[in-house]
Amino acid sequence: MGSSANQDNVASLATDFYSLLESFKETPFYHLLFEIFLVLTVLWLILFRKPRRIEKKLTEKEKQELIDEWQPEPLVPPVDANHPALNVRVLDGIVGKTIEIDGKKSLNFATFNFLNFVGNPRIADKAIQAVQKYGVGSCGPRGFYGTIDIHLELEERLAHFFNCEEGIIYSYGFSTVASIIPAYSKRNDILFVDEGVHYAIQKGVEASRSTVKWFRHNDISDLERLLAEQDIHDKKNPKKARTLRRFLIIEGLYMNYGDLCPLPRMVELKYQYKYRIFMDESVSFGTIGQTGRGVTEYYNIDRRKIDLISSSLEYSVGSIGGFAVGSSFVVDHQRLSAQGYCFSASLPPLLAAAAIEALNIMEEKDTTLCDTLMEKSKRLHRKLLDIKGYLIVGEDISPLKHLRLTNSQNTVARLEEIVEFAQTRGITITVARYLNDEHHLPEPSIRLILNVEMTDEELEFLCTVLQEARVKVTV
Amino acid sequence: MNVGIAQGERNPNSSWLNSRGVWLTYIILLFVLHFILLSIPYITTPVAWTLTTTIHNICSFYLFHLVKGAPWETSDQGRARRFTFWEQIDNGVQWTGTRKFLQILPIILFFIASFYTKYDRTHFVINLATMLLAVVPKFPIFFGVRLFDINRY
Repeated sequence: MGSSANQDNVASLATDFYSLLESFKETPFYHLLFEIFLVLTVLWLILFRKPRRIEKKLTEKEKQELIDEWQPEPLVPPVDANHPALNVRVLDGIVGKTIEIDGKKSLNFATFNFLNFVGNPRIADKAIQAVQKYGVGSCGPRGFYGTIDIHLELEERLAHFFNCEEGIIYSYGFSTVASIIPAYSKRNDILFVDEGVHYAIQKGVEASRSTVKWFRHNDISDLERLLAEQDIHDKKNPKKARTLRRFLIIEGLYMNYGDLCPLPRMVELKYQYKYRIFMDESVSFGTIGQTGRGVTEYYNIDRRKIDLISSSLEYSVGSIGGFAVGSSFVVDHQRLSAQGYCFSASLPPLLAAAAIEALNIMEEKDTTLCDTLMEKSKRLHRKLLDIKGYLIVGEDISPLKHLRLTNSQNTVARLEEIVEFAQTRGITITVARYLNDEHHLPEPSIRLILNVEMTDEELEFLCTVLQEARVKVTV
Repeated sequence: MNVGIAQGERNPNSSWLNSRGVWLTYIILLFVLHFILLSIPYITTPVAWTLTTTIHNICSFYLFHLVKGAPWETSDQGRARRFTFWEQIDNGVQWTGTRKFLQILPIILFFIASFYTKYDRTHFVINLATMLLAVVPKFPIFFGVRLFDINRY
């Protein structure tokens, strides 16, 4: 019974298939033709289309030609004996308010030591304690066993200092802003960038592969012109505009010029043209504003209107690294997308401890650090204006000033002479140096940095030396 | 795809179809779809085959030619944001093994479906239409083409 049912099933399957084969013999003509065409197409696809190779192969002759053409270069090219790399000046000890170069002590107006935290004994003690507790390095990136409780504490402290939701720290000041910009702005986005931004921001903008629109330094009307042009484009193609992101990249206090950005107007334009503001406060953190909270405090602007504030811990704070603060929504994205955060080892705990102690000093109840710094900057500015023959570039409250010689005498060679003369008199200043591939280099200048613990006499001495140097150089 | 290799892939969407066993999985999944359709009562074998090819071709058109970008946090700074999945495969190199495989598969399905539907005219028209939908956009002439600006940005 079962076996005959089985046989019937098999037989019915066979007849089904047989009927299919029969119908194959009765295919309509057009169908058969089409199927033959398709078979030929398939064969053509498989056999006759090879993937195109990108590199060309060189023939033997071409290879021999290239080998014959080659001229070896000397291992060490001839170099001028006065090349700075061959005449290295050796520093000894801590580079704080005074600096010891080649055995001679001099006043330091060259390094970015605004609040004189370098060599501060309180901070040094805390750093040594951290070495005894945590060791020297953190041995890993933040995502792979490199996060230590002191990092989280520093992030919380920074967020609390700026009254923002979240903070994130980086282990190198240069790579902070150079990682932040490409994390948010991608290939088809638009960046409106001030021409006077420093090199790290320029590299970040380049790495982002976005469309960059440079506007003249601190020229709001130029920025408005660019925004209006972009607006016209957007109205012509609204579908494309909806997929674009727009950012404004500025600095709080510009390192290359020493002046503040016109932030209130930029925030107004933000709500009109719908872009996001990323502000780099490397120089203005700890120096501008009543309590050192930067340009937003100086202009009394709500920090929630600025989408991201980034800064370096290497200038006022006297540690190493950088950070960014903002809303949680914005800052959290960097934890997976910022290259400098994910793929670099995290900040050594001793430097994080030093930064926390520096924040402690800045947040002390009756501290007048930033007030004093602004006062001294104003006084220095007035004194420098009294010296004939120099052009002072920078705000009066800025502790970073650029000095230029008037009219066409402003060359790097003359400024170097001034620097050398000042060094012989016990003042260390420096000519601002830039790399060859920087965008829109500012004019040559001496970059003067004011240390908050400089006394009035020392500032007077500086002005005297600058006056003498001027006379000596232009004679 | 990213497991066990030294270098990271900038856009994993370009290489995951070249991984070990993906082509076989694709064919097996197609057969699983067909068996599910066969298990539904009142669907005869010819109808099941036409349905399989139709569903496969329409889904492949949507996934390969309508959806843009990649579901990863890619490290190519958004280069793939405006490209469809088909254009991202092998980073745009044409006529590679995967592309040929994916282009020939709907044609083979068309052969099988025609055989099982006994070359009936209605089934032929439906199968032909969906096969063209799946095969024609895969030719290199259509690389980056967005007809009537649909799906361009």
